[in-house]
Amino acid sequence: MHFTTTGYASAIILTAGIAVIAISPRLADAADVVKFGAPLALTGSLADEAKKQDVAWKMWLAKVNAAGGINVGGKKLKAELVEYDYQSDGQRAGQLAEKLITSDKVDFLLSPFGSGHTKIVATIAERYETPVVACAASSESVFDQNSKHLFGTLSPNAGMFGPMVKLFQEKLPTLKRVAVLGRDDVFPKAMAQGVSAAAKAAGLTVVYDQLYAVGTMDHSAALSAIKAGNPDWIYVTGYTQDLILVRKQMSDLGLKAPIVTMVAGPAYKEYIDGLGNLANGITSSSWWHQATSYKGVGVWPTTEDFYKEFLAKEKSDPDYVHASCAAAAVILQDAIERAGTTDKKKVRDELAKTDVTTFYGPVKFSANGMNQGRDLPIIQVQDKQIKVLAPADIKNGDLSLIK
Amino acid sequence: MAYLQTLVNGIVLGALYACLAVGFSLVWGVLNIVNMLHGSLIVLGGYLTFFAWQGYGIYPLLALPVVALLLFALGYALQLAVINRVVSEPVLTTLTLTFGLDLILYNFMTVYYTATPRRVTLDLGAIDIGGIVMPVDRLFGMLLALVLTALLYLVMRRSRIGRAIVAVRMDSAAAALMGIRVNRIYAVTFGIGALMAGATGVIFAMVYPVTTNLAGIYLGKAFVVCVIGGLGSVPGALAGGIVLGVIESFAGQFFGPQHALTVGFVLMLVLLVVKPTGLTGIKGYE
Repeated sequence: MHFTTTGYASAIILTAGIAVIAISPRLADAADVVKFGAPLALTGSLADEAKKQDVAWKMWLAKVNAAGGINVGGKKLKAELVEYDYQSDGQRAGQLAEKLITSDKVDFLLSPFGSGHTKIVATIAERYETPVVACAASSESVFDQNSKHLFGTLSPNAGMFGPMVKLFQEKLPTLKRVAVLGRDDVFPKAMAQGVSAAAKAAGLTVVYDQLYAVGTMDHSAALSAIKAGNPDWIYVTGYTQDLILVRKQMSDLGLKAPIVTMVAGPAYKEYIDGLGNLANGITSSSWWHQATSYKGVGVWPTTEDFYKEFLAKEKSDPDYVHASCAAAAVILQDAIERAGTTDKKKVRDELAKTDVTTFYGPVKFSANGMNQGRDLPIIQVQDKQIKVLAPADIKNGDLSLIK
Repeated sequence: MAYLQTLVNGIVLGALYACLAVGFSLVWGVLNIVNMLHGSLIVLGGYLTFFAWQGYGIYPLLALPVVALLLFALGYALQLAVINRVVSEPVLTTLTLTFGLDLILYNFMTVYYTATPRRVTLDLGAIDIGGIVMPVDRLFGMLLALVLTALLYLVMRRSRIGRAIVAVRMDSAAAALMGIRVNRIYAVTFGIGALMAGATGVIFAMVYPVTTNLAGIYLGKAFVVCVIGGLGSVPGALAGGIVLGVIESFAGQFFGPQHALTVGFVLMLVLLVVKPTGLTGIKGYE
């Protein structure tokens, strides 16, 4: 076989061409994507909540990329999400956050579900100076660790007590006696203590104020004691499976009150599905509800846009976890676009300056990184549907007392 | 009057505990296997019941025999194909194996069914006898628990297979010499354990939300009941369950719900020190 000079030349060009083609996507990859990392509890006890986060972020990702990507200094970059399952094991969440930053080289982090695991991931993010936006942590103890890179879309729990007590006193002037039962766990305990203090401050008598242990399979002792106290308002706080059991046992034991609040029971669709008629009349607090109508920045300009798209895709209503997590991604995108770069430090500074409204509501971070307080929705199940009782600007129903 | 209500609550709860623990106790007693799968098997029974009810309108009671048999088949197959390979190893080996199997089953259910709490919304109401309230579904669960436990007791005492199980438990080498196929007996025993877990799942689906989040709690309860009642014995599990239920019920009233579980665990620790064989004091030779 004889090669002419042209033959050699074309062989070299061909080889070089193949090499360039082989390398170029990698070069393009590194420069043309914005990488987001998320340690998620896709298996284990938090699997349900993590799936909600996953759904929300993938919806956002599809929407952003369909529009060409994130506008970084006039250039559209595709968004990429790297997820790892940390199996609901906090320690593993930390390890995977580290892996995401050091080996996957993600630009920004989205935080896992719950205050505890958010705290762990935030510590790692702080060490590597990587901005992290949390969407499901509402305990202030997560945000008082001096993390400069942690931001959270939920408002502090404290905004949930005063307005609720006031509303119920208005609607039920004879309201005097309150019973509080909470799960002995970070969030529910804070809620139980908060509402009990707010009720006392408003001049109500707290006739029962107890916590139940994690793993309690029977609430009849507590409920019998509450029944003896004859309260006008029963406030129970815990996780969905506990609240379903408590509500069921209340009905079994014939325990009734004009107002029954379960936090955050009715904020979750599965609570209403799991209880059927027994869910009717139950009130709760929530961080978000689709009945709100906000307009603002991001891929979903209005609450309705988000709701409609979610409904079409998931065939069910979103809850506050979906909305808050989608909002976290929207806020990150907004900060990147304002910074005009993916530089971690500059984006962090823009995040700190955030003062925008999104489909989820206003987002403005306090000095500790937590979204500032606002009037959070008080909701009630009426005829298996959620009605918003307060605040006045988004209300679409009135408190109906349980007979 | 209030005490009587607390006592009734405790007994009804205790029967549910007994139901939950009897299969676990049997497997531990006969095979010397701490079956970490037990909680997840109960939840699996619950899911089967829930889906039968939601999808086809089948009432839990009608689903019970089918669910129980399915779980028996699953347990039998698992023991024969997998666990028998290591059954004579130290308890830590079998514990690790069932722990691994539990991870698989637990996460399978979480992924395919999601951990969303679901409930069979059959609200049967409550019976009020002279001011003492008894929820119909729990009462029903209690009756079923008693019947199942009694049946198991009879099987263990009267049937050939039951006697073979007891024989293998007492001395597996001697039993083998008598012509008992020990591996089959192991499989049958594990199958019965799974069957009881499935039946418990059906009963619990009417009382508790069905979710994988509860699997660990069920397993923990089974442990406590077995230690209190005595290992491997059917009446022991019944006694342990009822004692635990009544104690938790009264503790909840006197010390508050925050400490009800603690009192149960303290009782377990005390018994481990003063009477390690449990309340029934026998080691399950029915």
